[in-house]
Amino acid sequence: MKLKIKLIRLFSQILFFSLFLYLFIKTESRGEDKIGYPVKVFLEFDPFISLSTIISTRSLSDISYFFLFTIAATVFFGRIFCGWVCPLGFINDLAGKIGLRRKEEEKKWFRLKYYLLVGILTSAIFSVHISGFFDPISILVRSFTISIYPGFVLVLENIFDILYSAELIGDFTEAIYNFFRENVFPFKIQSFFQSFFVGILFFILLGTNLIEKRFWCKYLCPLGALLGFFSFFPLIRKSISEGCTNCGVCELYCSGGLKAIKHSWSVSECIECYECENVCPKNAISSGKNQKPKKVDLGRRGVAFAILFGALFHPLIKVHPLYRERFFSSRLIRPPGALGEPEFLKRCIRCGECMKVCPTNALQPSFLESGPEGIWTPILVPKVGYCEFRCTMCGQVCPVGAIKRLTPEEKIKTKIGLAFIDKNRCLPYAFNRPCIVCEEVCPTPKKAIYLEEKKILIGKVNIVIKQPRVDPELCVGCGICEAKCPVSDSPAIYITSIQESRSKNNRLFIGNYRSS
Amino acid sequence: MKRRDFLKTAFGCTFAFLFQRTGSFGTEYSSYPDLVVVTGHPPATLVESAVSALGGMKRFVSRGDIVVVKPNIGWDRPPEMAANTNPEVVGEVVRLCYEAGAKLVKVLDRSVNDPRRCYVQSGIEKAASFNGAKVIYPDDRKFKKVEIKGEVLKSWEIWTEVLEADKIINVPIAKHHSLARLTMSIKNLMGVMGGFRGLIHQRLDDSLADLAAFLRPTLTVLDAVRVLVRGGPQGGDIKDVVQKDTIIVGTDQVSVDAYGATLFGIRPQDIGHIKRAAERGIGRLDLDKIKVRKFSL
Repeated sequence: MKLKIKLIRLFSQILFFSLFLYLFIKTESRGEDKIGYPVKVFLEFDPFISLSTIISTRSLSDISYFFLFTIAATVFFGRIFCGWVCPLGFINDLAGKIGLRRKEEEKKWFRLKYYLLVGILTSAIFSVHISGFFDPISILVRSFTISIYPGFVLVLENIFDILYSAELIGDFTEAIYNFFRENVFPFKIQSFFQSFFVGILFFILLGTNLIEKRFWCKYLCPLGALLGFFSFFPLIRKSISEGCTNCGVCELYCSGGLKAIKHSWSVSECIECYECENVCPKNAISSGKNQKPKKVDLGRRGVAFAILFGALFHPLIKVHPLYRERFFSSRLIRPPGALGEPEFLKRCIRCGECMKVCPTNALQPSFLESGPEGIWTPILVPKVGYCEFRCTMCGQVCPVGAIKRLTPEEKIKTKIGLAFIDKNRCLPYAFNRPCIVCEEVCPTPKKAIYLEEKKILIGKVNIVIKQPRVDPELCVGCGICEAKCPVSDSPAIYITSIQESRSKNNRLFIGNYRSS
Repeated sequence: MKRRDFLKTAFGCTFAFLFQRTGSFGTEYSSYPDLVVVTGHPPATLVESAVSALGGMKRFVSRGDIVVVKPNIGWDRPPEMAANTNPEVVGEVVRLCYEAGAKLVKVLDRSVNDPRRCYVQSGIEKAASFNGAKVIYPDDRKFKKVEIKGEVLKSWEIWTEVLEADKIINVPIAKHHSLARLTMSIKNLMGVMGGFRGLIHQRLDDSLADLAAFLRPTLTVLDAVRVLVRGGPQGGDIKDVVQKDTIIVGTDQVSVDAYGATLFGIRPQDIGHIKRAAERGIGRLDLDKIKVRKFSL
């Protein structure tokens, strides 16, 4: 019986982790303009980001309500999500296997995660939405997208390259390679500016398991804290019978904070891993309906401090020129369908789904382009990739409605910026060399980049050269001109955010451009 | 198309073909024509009858050959926008290759837009793989720097699948191009180039002539079923598309392009890269001296 529960739990963790990985890998364009898989489902079942989004936006629209199911399950069964479902929890369990099995002092830090939760939700009340930095699912999707997965594939490809160049490639290795190519590898390895930092943070998170297993879950995870809060009526409760000799083995194996099993059982800390029952040499721990669960006492002072700290974020972050009325960052180009900047930041959880699905790798995690509040939110960097004209994928995968789901007709009319020509660098203007690449790749039905023939006298010879011009009415700012410009280091045509559809104020003209 | 309709048309073309043959019998046409131009409907049947008028696919593809079919799959556009080669034309070329005994037919192009979208949205992936072709996406490691020994292009990265193929069949679409004026067979060869192609526009005509001298496809099937008369090469506005229902087949890519230019009312001499290619002896553009067989279905 004991072993069975352990195996069932392991099976459940592997199942959900595999599902997570599968959906993660499938978060990719295959040429159709739809995904065909519910790739954001883990984020949709996540009550923490859903509630924080509801609070920060003060709106119930544009998010999924699957998270209510998770809350309902937690109310009656405790934090089974943490112990049985959470893919980051599973990775922590694996990393914890390497960790040292010491008998640690009972730490009081477990309260930290509740304070973090209170602080983040408080800052959400003041419209600063930072839950994505700490939400485990968000961390996992982001770290995998930006760092772990591309890095993993890069290493594997290099290994196969070595095998290939050393002519060690046989039918067997070739078969493995083809398997990886079709099932595991992305169509193309993506690269990201923040890859290093996001990756290091993820490994630090894993490394904390060496201090104590599931360190993150015990002390830091705000989603765990929220689920702990919702563990109102556990149907199955742990109880300790009189056979207990206080040997302490259960405490050693306990994955919850506060040694969830010590003395009496604290439901909000228990992640339902059943290790205590499994390891008890006296079989003194059992599951039933008897014992009254212990409540966690957070202390008034701590909560007050957390609220104060959360509230502090508002002034700390908002005292920034970006929040002045007419200050716009030229390179702050958001994906098509992104809400206006304040609304966007109130929603975006920095999960990186949009970056994963972007077929040209154009969407990159920002650093300080949109202030400290916007770290790791998606920005379009045309030098890396452009916005594919007829693609609507990023809006399809956004779990919180920060990027609206556009129809193809809406998409091709959505402007994310405007192209400008740098005549000092453009080949036809600066060097009288023919080049029409920007015009050729410009995707609008009536081209936003058109060519004007100019007669130029060189010495005594008259030549005709075609010079590109931009029609600001037609340009959608997709950036393919910048991405493909042969002046590669600093393109002679480039996009800035002005004229973007999502902003009323970031405008270039008064009234209609044509009529003036 | 219904099976019955297909048979009718197929019958029709066979008759038309036979009639043509007898019509020209006894003249100086002792061997095959240089160019075959077929108009009518549907596209696949045009391809089939055009190729058979040129001697059938067996003349070009031998048993056991590995064939690369190179359509234009440059853009994320649906077939009706005429930015990519008509998928029915590509599918039929693949089918004919297998019928002639090819071991493997590969279909590939280095797209300008995201290749996944181009391959799928153009309908070419489906049409090609339906007929048994292996559809190959561009992969940086599959491009090898080789000597082109041209006037502008000294060396360039070329797709190894193309270099290693037994036969190459170029299946371009005829359309307007803002710099080259028209893009047809020769310009379509750019799709096997790796590296940073944006640079060659500075000396496009010479570069294209270099490329045409380096790569000489066994057969060229020019798709002029729908052509883009403005806004090329990418198009995107249905008003710029004109239905021509024409297929031009030949072994000399310069002649194919020369004839193609006339469909747009442009003299072949007026198109820089065609003129350069002819001057360098890669092919002939003087349509008066080329044996053209024209018929419609």
